[in-house]
Amino acid sequence: MNKDFVGGARAMLPWLAGVLPFGLVIGVSVSQTHLPAGAGWLTAPVLFGGSAQIAAIQLLNAGGAAVAVIVTTMVINLRLALYSAAMAQYWRGTPLWWRLLGGYLLVDPSFAVGIAKYSSDPDRRRGHAHYLGGGVVLWIGWLSAVAIGARAGASVPSGLHLEILVPLFLIGELLPKLRQAPTRWAMVASSGVALLCLTVPLHLGIAIGIVAGMAAGWFKVRPARPATRTRALRKLPRRPSIEDTVDHADANEKQEAHR
Amino acid sequence: MNVWITILAAGLGSYVLRMSMITSDRFRLPSQLEGAASLVAPSAFAALATTTLAGLALDSVQAAGLRNALPLAATLAVASLAVVRTSKPYLAVLTGMPTFWLVSALISR
Repeated sequence: MNKDFVGGARAMLPWLAGVLPFGLVIGVSVSQTHLPAGAGWLTAPVLFGGSAQIAAIQLLNAGGAAVAVIVTTMVINLRLALYSAAMAQYWRGTPLWWRLLGGYLLVDPSFAVGIAKYSSDPDRRRGHAHYLGGGVVLWIGWLSAVAIGARAGASVPSGLHLEILVPLFLIGELLPKLRQAPTRWAMVASSGVALLCLTVPLHLGIAIGIVAGMAAGWFKVRPARPATRTRALRKLPRRPSIEDTVDHADANEKQEAHR
Repeated sequence: MNVWITILAAGLGSYVLRMSMITSDRFRLPSQLEGAASLVAPSAFAALATTTLAGLALDSVQAAGLRNALPLAATLAVASLAVVRTSKPYLAVLTGMPTFWLVSALISR
């Protein structure tokens, strides 16, 4: 097997330690919903992004309209367009099948692993193999974690109230980030607006809350010296965690530059 | 719309976003959106957590009065305290779930 492919797979392992518990929680949450088990699990290969999957599962379980599910997941996954822009320069001239496959695997951990190699090694073919190795390992690990969580969650008695697992997990991820002013503004605004919009038809309140949070946080980020697209996207996370770590590492650095 | 079709449509939308810049050099996102992109995950998590918890709390209160919301309130307090004091995200689940079970058992006596 190509040693760059193996190198990419190996570089993904620390990320897996961070994202697999998230996949397990999503799997358990699937088992606690009224959705067909197969439909819940399908979000893993089809959406292939934790926060979008959670949003889709929660909205579908609450009886949200299709338009609310689609709009919310697209708002959450808007950042993928930025990753796409960063990868475009490295994938220019590659066959269409490669771009279709590479694009499908593009998510926070695979982006971080791939861009690290592309920006340090001028040989594009080695970079492609490295990216593919990381992406394939992530894909297998993620789908397995969601399936295991769904399987295990289904055999747990309902008296254990595992439905509070997801909000607890999200709170655990959010609270340490309250120290960063733009993130704090974003979280407070999105929570408040989402609560105020609880009765908005089609369950669009969450999507409205997310947009409000982004706007409030952006208002605080805005005075920072703007970084170029590639510079901003090349910054790598300090520690592997859930899928938003790349973004937060970037936000931290912007804050420091602002100070 | 059918659940399966909705998931497939949402997946197609996400795939289009992934492919948006790879297939064409013409379309570019406004640079202002780059800063906002870093705020998507915390905004989404906050909105999801708040609305889910509000739904659970309302269901509990409607089913059996304010007393029934006590386990959830205690769980949130303990989990938040554990995370704020230690900055370890996983402690929210590790302290929150046992608290919920314990307080639920105590008030059901």
